[in-house]
Amino acid sequence: MMKHIPAVLFLIPLVAAISMPMVVLRRPGWGRPMTLFAACAMCVTAVANLLVVLNSGEIRYLFGGWRAPVGIEWVADGLASVMMIAVSLLATVCLVYGGSVKLPGSARRLALHYILILLLLSALTGVVFAADLFNVFVFLEVATLCTSGLVAIAGGKALVFAFRYLILASIGATFYLLGVSFLYAATGTLNMADLAQRLPGLLGSKAVIVGLVFMFIGLAIKMALMPLHGWLPDAYTYALDAVSPLLSSLVTKVALFAWIRIMYWVVGAGHDAETAQALRVCWMLGALAAVGGAFLALIQQDVKRMFAYGGVSHIGLIMIGAGLGNQTGLAGSMFYLINDAVMQATLFVLAGVAISHYGVRTMGDLAVLRERAPWMIGGLIIVGLSMIGIPPTGGFFGKWYIVLGALQSGEYVAVGAVIVATLLTMAYFMGLFVRIFASHYGGGEQASPVAPAAEMPLVLRVCVGILCVGILSLGLCSDRIVKVLLDATSSLKL
Amino acid sequence: MIGAHDSVIVLTISRMLIPLIQLYAIYILFFGQYSPGGGFAAGVIFGASLILAILVFGPETHAGAVATKVVAGDGLGLLVYAGVGGLCLIGGGEYLNYAALELPGLSEPARRSLGILLTQIGVGLDIAVTAVSIVLSLSFIPHGEGSHG
Amino acid sequence: MVELLEAVIKRPNFVAFVALFLWGLYIAITHHNLVKKLIGLYIVQTSVIFFFVTFAAKQGATVPILLSNDGKIEARAYTNPLPHALTLTAIVVQVATLGVSVAVVAGIYRNYDSLDEAEILKKLE
Repeated sequence: MMKHIPAVLFLIPLVAAISMPMVVLRRPGWGRPMTLFAACAMCVTAVANLLVVLNSGEIRYLFGGWRAPVGIEWVADGLASVMMIAVSLLATVCLVYGGSVKLPGSARRLALHYILILLLLSALTGVVFAADLFNVFVFLEVATLCTSGLVAIAGGKALVFAFRYLILASIGATFYLLGVSFLYAATGTLNMADLAQRLPGLLGSKAVIVGLVFMFIGLAIKMALMPLHGWLPDAYTYALDAVSPLLSSLVTKVALFAWIRIMYWVVGAGHDAETAQALRVCWMLGALAAVGGAFLALIQQDVKRMFAYGGVSHIGLIMIGAGLGNQTGLAGSMFYLINDAVMQATLFVLAGVAISHYGVRTMGDLAVLRERAPWMIGGLIIVGLSMIGIPPTGGFFGKWYIVLGALQSGEYVAVGAVIVATLLTMAYFMGLFVRIFASHYGGGEQASPVAPAAEMPLVLRVCVGILCVGILSLGLCSDRIVKVLLDATSSLKL
Repeated sequence: MIGAHDSVIVLTISRMLIPLIQLYAIYILFFGQYSPGGGFAAGVIFGASLILAILVFGPETHAGAVATKVVAGDGLGLLVYAGVGGLCLIGGGEYLNYAALELPGLSEPARRSLGILLTQIGVGLDIAVTAVSIVLSLSFIPHGEGSHG
Repeated sequence: MVELLEAVIKRPNFVAFVALFLWGLYIAITHHNLVKKLIGLYIVQTSVIFFFVTFAAKQGATVPILLSNDGKIEARAYTNPLPHALTLTAIVVQVATLGVSVAVVAGIYRNYDSLDEAEILKKLE
């Protein structure tokens, strides 16, 4: 019975999405409770999954009963289980936040919005658990279509940028498929474990190298690694405020997770000289992304856009950790991935609350918040500490392990990039806080076009509170979580 | 708005062809295990017949209106597919392990064959409805809740 | 040099794939019309699917459907069925992507009254 948990985890949002059109036909108001119920059920199941995996080892789920490598299998090991908990918890909190924002349209039209979110969750579950290269492609494409639909729902400007995202992401997926076809032509199998056995002798062959390059380019477009990040700031800025936290915290991180899986579990990086070159490309691009993203965030005027570029910078940081080839760096990058998901969700929730309750959209409006928004400023401070990397928040421990890993492999340029990115992040957060607190940036009275509301409602306070508690507890429990991640990566023998 | 086609020739030939196309789609669906075909192709062909009905007869007449109402069954095919998989879960096997379908009197290969057939029916249904729904949402034909964004 | 040309000419399917892929990418990137970009995207995806099918082929082999139910099944007589299954799935993904893209383009046309990317970007300013 326990072995069916991965399938159940995938089926919960899928069944909710399928039955929603029929339910909403009769009772239009049931759309949101059903989505929330599905997300909470996913949380509970994800926690149960982690407990089962920690107790009895990884679960290999064979669909249709056919044994691998003939059949398609899913693998739920420590890494995937921790990722699933992060995905489902974040989805629940973002859904609670999203439901409190007034969305235009009747209840029937909202049902479409919830169907897209549920399908996105099931697609992300598929990518996290997949142990077959083609499965990753299919679920990534489903996630792309759902994401572009969610961005396009905002209408107006968002349609143009949703179209741009769709074209770029589809080209990325096509590149990934091309890479998979090269690997298949070279080895004859698509199963990750089987490939891991067949690839070590073939890593010098041109087909395999070209295949891996194409797969990397495809996934880099999906995870918005600089310089392929062009779609991200526009898409996340113009998406609906209710939907941005969900998108920004989950979509790119899962694509990066897929790349880490392929790099370490399929190609077996970190063991020989050929893969060391590939890893070097990875962390160099990561360094470029970390510094470039933070620098571009510094010059932004729109708050949501600034946070989006912050996300680009963090993807770069995670890539630095993942490109180092040792266990500390890898565990650190995975820990920072989970941290970054929580931080991005918090940032976009705060940005959405700022827009809807205080009318704050650009850096110039920030003075409105000065004496009126204690919870929001408190949340901003905690997230800021975590983004910059100050203990005891989770961001510090993630960066700590990444830097430790970089020192272990002697890559001092990577350490330098992390430090420069941290300083730039500190600079743009200082910019935020200075504009909120310093009195010479204009008074709060005449700056606000909207009559500033009272303190934000209880639901939003609960959301922000849960996310900030999450950031702090990730930092305080970092030891235990990193230990689970180190155990999960110990089979790689790095 | 799309009205019925003017030419009698087109109307008559479509009236004869559409049932043939649908019959061919059902043939491809059921023979997908023994020849090229299966759920996807069958769904596309069935959807094409419905789109032809909408284009030739217009959405107001009876033939066109039936096709327009088909969109109401939006998630039904996916429900059939996931439902068959879920039945396999209930029967004790993994998800989509057709050998675990709880049907009396069938040997294991027969159960697997039946399971495949049921999922292909679900797939075909879903793709037909999707094809019609794409065409309808791109034209200005009102259906259900108006244009879906 | 001669063996390079030989290697290329002996594999016409690779040449066709590369030509289609690059052509589609060029169309998707350079043309201004949104629908032409979609066509370019479609050509890129079709070229990859075509590539998949062609390297599944074997000399003298037939389609991967059993000719007879009994007797020995020789793998050499049938083309590789796995890429065919992947092709089917990829085609469905392609159709879904095209459907969503065309819907988004229709929405853009309703809002901005033009399908030209340069014009739309100018209107966005």
